[in-house]
Amino acid sequence: MDRRAFVLVALLVLACVLGLVAYNYLLTQKTVLRVSTTTSLYATGLLERLADEFRKTHPDVVIQFIPVGSGEALRKASMGDADLVLVHAPNLEQKYINDGLLIEGGIFAYNYFVIVGPLSDPANIKGLDNATEAFRKIFEAGEKGEALFVSRGDNSGTHNRELFIWRKTGLNPRGEWYIESGSGMAQTLQIANEKEAYTLSDIGTYLKLKKTGVINNLEILVSGDPDLINIYSVYIVNPKKINGIKYDLAKEFREFLLGTEGQKIIGEYGVEDYGANLFYPVDPSKLNELKSIWRYFASS
Amino acid sequence: MIDINALIEITARSLAISGLATLFASLWSIPIAILLSIGQRRWARLLIAIFNSLVGVPTVIIGLLLYLLLSRSGPLGILSLLYTPYAIVVGQALLITPLMISFGVEVIGVRAKNLIEMSLTFGASTTQLLLTIIEEASTRIMAVSILGFQRAVGELGVALMLGGNIRGFTRVFTTAIALEIQKGEFELAIYLGIILILVDFIVIMILRILGWRK
Repeated sequence: MDRRAFVLVALLVLACVLGLVAYNYLLTQKTVLRVSTTTSLYATGLLERLADEFRKTHPDVVIQFIPVGSGEALRKASMGDADLVLVHAPNLEQKYINDGLLIEGGIFAYNYFVIVGPLSDPANIKGLDNATEAFRKIFEAGEKGEALFVSRGDNSGTHNRELFIWRKTGLNPRGEWYIESGSGMAQTLQIANEKEAYTLSDIGTYLKLKKTGVINNLEILVSGDPDLINIYSVYIVNPKKINGIKYDLAKEFREFLLGTEGQKIIGEYGVEDYGANLFYPVDPSKLNELKSIWRYFASS
Repeated sequence: MIDINALIEITARSLAISGLATLFASLWSIPIAILLSIGQRRWARLLIAIFNSLVGVPTVIIGLLLYLLLSRSGPLGILSLLYTPYAIVVGQALLITPLMISFGVEVIGVRAKNLIEMSLTFGASTTQLLLTIIEEASTRIMAVSILGFQRAVGELGVALMLGGNIRGFTRVFTTAIALEIQKGEFELAIYLGIILILVDFIVIMILRILGWRK
């Protein structure tokens, strides 16, 4: 390689590096709030929408979302790598609350899990309003080799709820009909679609995929059971336990989420695109009921 | 559909991060590779075998180990590197080091041995020898660096664990693709994959053409 080429490559690399450094320097001039969050919530686009609105009144704040599973989000927050956490796994949350790592919990949204399955419905669960009963029927059909079930198997909020319902049935799903995908909701639905299997899904991811036409073999078979309520909570990482937490800013964003502005955005988000609510805001009259449902799942 | 500004931003960031990681990794990997290929002693061969086996370490494991180091509650937490592009640079540089050393020993080694025999007759010092080898084997060194860059730009584990896939800050090609898959936007993920390959191709063509002009 001749000298000119070397200089050219060096200049290009230098330009890239300077760009990166300058850009990051500009960002560090602002206050950064780090939020670890469940992927299913982030993937709907709701959080960026909320952050954009929050920034209108806080122009010097940058909100950085770290989208991971609920289990990982809680773990990372408890290690001090986030200021705020948004999750939907009450039984996991409870451990961190007990350890005093997460404080000032608040329910900011809820929606429903649904049991989806193939149009042929070999376990004959369509129209049931009881998730436990539906799972029992899927188990029986599975043992006979007539049905398949795909589990997330990843300690996510959805996976924890699925296990909760299995515990209620008193059955232990094992065997070839019980498939553990170990991947996210979209991939799990895709697997269920390919294998004509049943699965438990959050309504948001299901509606989104249904609309794009990649899961045409699946439909919602069971919904509306209180056991299927999906509760999203916000927590601040305890600044007394972990140094460097931006408590004041975290509190402001928490108040925004729970306040009228935030709640309005949550209630309206996605309705136009999907013809249904992706999330429901927390009506003050329903708060106590949601709290008791949360406690019910947390103690499970 | 695809937000063109976001796409340009992700492309530039991916190239800058992985390019920088490759640059750092080259600074130590290539001299090590040359020294190891010159070394006839048993420890040199042992080291080569160790680097060979480290090539296969899963990217998420490197990501996880560095995460535990850089976490606010980890030993290097005071550096506040976690969830910044610099953390990805460090992680990717470490990730590609064994690969670059292993490949470097194979391709530069042969050339180096010939040069040593020649240089020794002129009584050159080790530093002079190293410089001669770097100059004479520049095309091969470029090939080693390109391979390292490829591994860096295409890996997911380190970028996800250390960068956190933060929009407008640490989102790179692979983490953006993973997120689109999570969202169920499979088509968009494939488009991003194609663009990644194209960008890779263009970068390598430029480097190759510059190299061939010699």
